[in-house]
Amino acid sequence: MAYLELDHLSKAFGPFQAVADFSLDVARGEFVSLLGPSGCGKTTTLQMIAGFEEPTSGTIRLNGRDLSGVAARDRGLGIVFQTYALFPHMTVAENVGFGLDMRKVRGKERKRRIAAALELVHLSHLAGRHPRQLSGGQRQRVALARALVIEPELLLLDEPLSNLDAKLREEMQLELRRIQQEAGVTTLLVTHDQNEAMALSDRIAVMHAGTLVQEAAPFEAYERPTTAFASAFLGKSNAIHGRYEGPEFVTKDGVRLAAPAPAADGAGAAGDVMLALRPERILFVEEADAVVSGKVVERVFLGDQWLFKVATPVGELLVTRRNGGHAEPEPGATVHLAWAADHLRVLAPEAAA
Amino acid sequence: MKNGAFAHIFTVLFAVFMLAPIGVVVAVSFTAEGFLEFPPSTLSLRWYWAILDNPDFIDAFIVSLKLGFVSALLATVLTVPAGLAIGRGRFRGRDALQALFLSPLTVPTVVLGISFLRFLSLFGMNGTFIGLAVCHAVIIIPFVLRLVLASVTGMDPSIEKASVSLGASPWTVFRRVTLPAITPGVVGGFVLAFITSFDELTVSIFIVNPSTTTLPVRLFSHIAQTTDPLVASVSTVAILFTVVVMLIVDRLYGLDRLLIGEGKR
Repeated sequence: MAYLELDHLSKAFGPFQAVADFSLDVARGEFVSLLGPSGCGKTTTLQMIAGFEEPTSGTIRLNGRDLSGVAARDRGLGIVFQTYALFPHMTVAENVGFGLDMRKVRGKERKRRIAAALELVHLSHLAGRHPRQLSGGQRQRVALARALVIEPELLLLDEPLSNLDAKLREEMQLELRRIQQEAGVTTLLVTHDQNEAMALSDRIAVMHAGTLVQEAAPFEAYERPTTAFASAFLGKSNAIHGRYEGPEFVTKDGVRLAAPAPAADGAGAAGDVMLALRPERILFVEEADAVVSGKVVERVFLGDQWLFKVATPVGELLVTRRNGGHAEPEPGATVHLAWAADHLRVLAPEAAA
Repeated sequence: MKNGAFAHIFTVLFAVFMLAPIGVVVAVSFTAEGFLEFPPSTLSLRWYWAILDNPDFIDAFIVSLKLGFVSALLATVLTVPAGLAIGRGRFRGRDALQALFLSPLTVPTVVLGISFLRFLSLFGMNGTFIGLAVCHAVIIIPFVLRLVLASVTGMDPSIEKASVSLGASPWTVFRRVTLPAITPGVVGGFVLAFITSFDELTVSIFIVNPSTTTLPVRLFSHIAQTTDPLVASVSTVAILFTVVVMLIVDRLYGLDRLLIGEGKR
């Protein structure tokens, strides 16, 4: 039996179905991310686990205990909020000690645990400061220490890094992973940032319109997305629409492409299918080796890499190339593109698209 | 940005416009003559000693002090829960409730005074200290509500969720998290309410009796009969008292933060 079980969880706000029949198992000590765009139901799911929202139907079990009817204050979960939600009138040590006060942990034991929690997040030297005297990254660490000091059965992180600037965010990702592993706490992260989800988690649960779209390890989810939505949301992806004619794939504009055979039970054995192709798998080649040729429409320099938009007979393709320190084709230039057929993923086209 | 000469002159004129009447009162209070003389030809503390010979002024000062404290306390205790509900709740009649609490600002005080007089008479509470305190509380509630609301809307609502998740009961959340977080607004509202009550004349005239005469009413009736500089010296003491209160509050909480709102610190 899984440590945390979300069993057919649903939540409706009036006519709006925020979460629909969502099930997920999390093992003890695992770090799982709920990834999806805003409005996909990930935050509502977190609120239900925390006890701030009542599920319309379905159950949540933690460590074998059914949480229905257990008040938020009795669930004993550690939560880090998007705004950090530090108590502005308390010092760092008082913030961290709050959960211990509620548990009637006093005296030496209280001191020892506050010190240990601050040690864990490397903030021992700031114990006497007030939140307003701290930087964003430091506040984030205080929030983590405050959530972890009560030794929660489950750590919930609600977009914890979204208020930090890009550079700090990368640092805190590594830091967050270290802290989570040192504390050994089962963690559920809610985020819309695919990089964050991939960098931090053991497993990603991609959510869309209240439902679970795909559940896999980060590498697996990136390499083998099972839906058009997952492929577009996790990293960049090109979509080539068409259908199979016998064993051959023909795009909607009539271009024949070598493509993997569709899985027997999978998408597109008949009817419209979509091929997903990562921009970094497309190579610039000599004309003779080209799968398609096209014209560079746009070129963006991103420092470590270049991003090209190329108009080709199979549609506009995004291509990324590592910056090798030499000149790259300019807009208007003709380029020849190739890719290995086994990098194509055969997917059912998005129903809504 | 640097201001031009015109802006400087304008600022000085504006300050003079606001402070000159107070300056005149303070200057007049130091005259040795028996009438309101400006500028005073000779300086003396005669009219300050005269306060001591007029115990009714001292009594009125004490009444005003007690009244300000009790009515501000009453208004604050009533308004903090209302401010929390209006500031964060989403319920039917929320706007109507807010309009109701702010309405004493828009009703002419003379009208309020007459209504309070009639209303208190119904219960035989005319002229009683409690009656006066309740009426003052009604008048000053809008001031408290405005400042409490500013604090409530500036507060991050997730700090309450955070404390709940850490195991706090509703009462503990209020006592240890919500109330401290809105303290600047609560204290600011209390101080403003106190000063407004201390200063209130129009409504008080209708409902005081000789034993509950407030300082403004006392001054008003004194000046209606005679024009000696006693009113100036009493006013100066009242001004000094207000300044001292403000200084203490500023030291404790920072006045700009209280009255203008949660700034950066």
